[in-house]
Amino acid sequence: MNRGRERVVAAMSGGVDSSVAAALMLREGFEVVGVTLRLQSCSEITVERSCCGQAATDRAGMVSGRLGIPHYILDCRKYFENEVLRHSWREYNRGRTPNPCVICNEKIKFGFLLDFARSIGAGRIATGHYARTETDSTGAITLHRGSFAPKDQSYFLFSLDRRRLASAIFPVGRMSKEQVRAISNDLGFQDGFMESQDACFAAKGQCYAEILRQRFHGRAKHGYFIDGSGTAVGRHTGIHQFTVGQGRKLGLAMGERCWVRSIDSKTGAVCVTNQCGDLFSHGLIASLVSWNAPPRGGNPVECSIQVRYRQEAVPATLESIGRNLVRAVFQKPIRAVTPGQAAVFYEGDRVLGGGWIQSSLQGDFA
Amino acid sequence: MQRTYFDHNATTRLDPSVLNVMLPFLADNYGNPSSIHWFGRDARRALDTARRHTADLIGAEPEEIVFTSGGTESDNQAILGIACLLRDRGDRIITTAIEHQAVLNSCLHLQQMGFRITFLPVDSEGRIDPSDLEHALDKDVILVSIMHANNETGTIQPLRAAASIARARGVLFHTDAVQAAGRIPIDVNKLGVDLLSLSGHKIHGPKGSGALFVRRGIQPPVLIHGGHHEHGRRAGTENVPAIAGLGEACRLAKERLPETARVTGMLRERLEKGILGQINPALVNGSLESRLPNTLNVSFPGLDGQFLAINLDLMGIAVSTGSACHAESREPSYVLKAMGRSDEEASCCIRFSLGHENTVDEVDRVVAALNQVIKDLRAV
Repeated sequence: MNRGRERVVAAMSGGVDSSVAAALMLREGFEVVGVTLRLQSCSEITVERSCCGQAATDRAGMVSGRLGIPHYILDCRKYFENEVLRHSWREYNRGRTPNPCVICNEKIKFGFLLDFARSIGAGRIATGHYARTETDSTGAITLHRGSFAPKDQSYFLFSLDRRRLASAIFPVGRMSKEQVRAISNDLGFQDGFMESQDACFAAKGQCYAEILRQRFHGRAKHGYFIDGSGTAVGRHTGIHQFTVGQGRKLGLAMGERCWVRSIDSKTGAVCVTNQCGDLFSHGLIASLVSWNAPPRGGNPVECSIQVRYRQEAVPATLESIGRNLVRAVFQKPIRAVTPGQAAVFYEGDRVLGGGWIQSSLQGDFA
Repeated sequence: MQRTYFDHNATTRLDPSVLNVMLPFLADNYGNPSSIHWFGRDARRALDTARRHTADLIGAEPEEIVFTSGGTESDNQAILGIACLLRDRGDRIITTAIEHQAVLNSCLHLQQMGFRITFLPVDSEGRIDPSDLEHALDKDVILVSIMHANNETGTIQPLRAAASIARARGVLFHTDAVQAAGRIPIDVNKLGVDLLSLSGHKIHGPKGSGALFVRRGIQPPVLIHGGHHEHGRRAGTENVPAIAGLGEACRLAKERLPETARVTGMLRERLEKGILGQINPALVNGSLESRLPNTLNVSFPGLDGQFLAINLDLMGIAVSTGSACHAESREPSYVLKAMGRSDEEASCCIRFSLGHENTVDEVDRVVAALNQVIKDLRAV
């Protein structure tokens, strides 16, 4: 061991961002140990060149070799299955649309991998996320959007508590994608990196939820499509195959475009509408809310809210309506607020906290 | 950083003397052994010498040796080749649950093609019961393949008894002796085996070298078809440098065997005593009597084998979790599972495999490091 240098773990997916992140840590003088998480078995579920696939793992190994750092492949398939995949299936089967990336960051990268890092005397993990941490005047660690707005991934990290945030390093968080690519070129990494985000859950030709159902031998909740007038307009083979706002592959011949407005897991009803205005809501209820920064100025809290990845944040007022339960009222309607997705609260570029969307609020709240 | 290599069942260092034998064939002696000219004759002579040394290591005749690209090819040639030759006579093959993947997956491939495969169980020490073989044999069985010594645990099979049972029924007997070679004496006639696989790089020879012993009088199984190399038993221009290296490695292995066994046995005892004396709980996997002198496989319940191995690696100590051939998987070891270990016990094991170049100091260093790592892991 090289005494005097802080040992850190670089989580390396094989993508360009995490490869550059590892290189930057090395450049900063850290002793870097590269780790690629083996999340799923080869040929299982994912498309060939996914972040969990062999090609990406090999690439992480090649990058580590070039950097001259040790590289390990940690098998955490069991954890991934239990913490992420099983949870995702349960959500789908409740008519919700899970966000596995948030769970994976919390339970796998800053859970399992952090435990591993500690076991080798590394207190911190560097990842390729486009997000930033800062230390505020009280010494608390705060989470912020990545400087490069189009790639900002703070949304996926909202649930990290302070202990986890304190162990996170985001070396590319202040960079643009172009800067990252330029560094990659300078380092002589070859082209052909793929974007690993979401790739763990990409499935070739098949509905991912259906693959999960088969994996966990779940029973599909069959039911009817119900239109705006309450009329059953067709049958479907399971609520898990639908998400709010979905307008394609409904398997419904209505003669006109229609979208999923809501899903009722109790009755198996998938409510559809041909009015795209019906998809907008004025607010939401979020549960399991966690606060990175306890809201200042008490209740209600003025902030902006983001309800899915890459969607623009909208000014909103938050009101606590129970334990870890928040009602958010938007200043302008948001399309397709989807139960199961994360609702993340921002003050400027700072993440205040977030929760899981329980339901959307429609009607005359605004 | 001081480096300690305790992973000789994965591979070994090329012996300097082996390298010396190989070098001329990587440089000026580039002849093709099949050629009629002077260059070819030099290469041919090297093959002859290597064949003699390889045969000597296992008590065989030179013409019973077929050179291959390694243990895996030898296993494939024996199993797929015999299945192909004898498919009209029967469709059953008997093997064990704890074979190396080269044997297991060759058998599973045949299973997909319609053959019936029987996997003999092993006891808690990892040994088969020859009477199970007796019961499993019937007129449809064309081949029995049982490894000599297990790569993960070092447990040695009652090969002689098993082979004599197969032979009494007129069934061909193959053994994967990749891990046994150079570590315990092997005599194909005393064992009574018909086919035997060897690998060069496990005995300080080059990677990409191996051999298959095929008893005289048996129609040789063929996997790779082409020219008349190796008397039609393995086509393709011979890898002369590798084969020359394999021959020298076999010569050295035979010459050094008593000393290698003594040294590694002594070191293994010290390692085992050290671990069991300082670390609790720790369970030794495999047979305590019938095992290779160089191998020690220990489960550390409650810990994650991959965390242990990585921590040791970061301290410069090379060991493996189970077998190097599936090191990236944290699946519980199928070998230990077949021995009745729980999933938990089979996922927390470390394999230490020693070589004649290891020292007492290294053993003491590994025990101390392991003790420290485990204390730290338990404290996290």
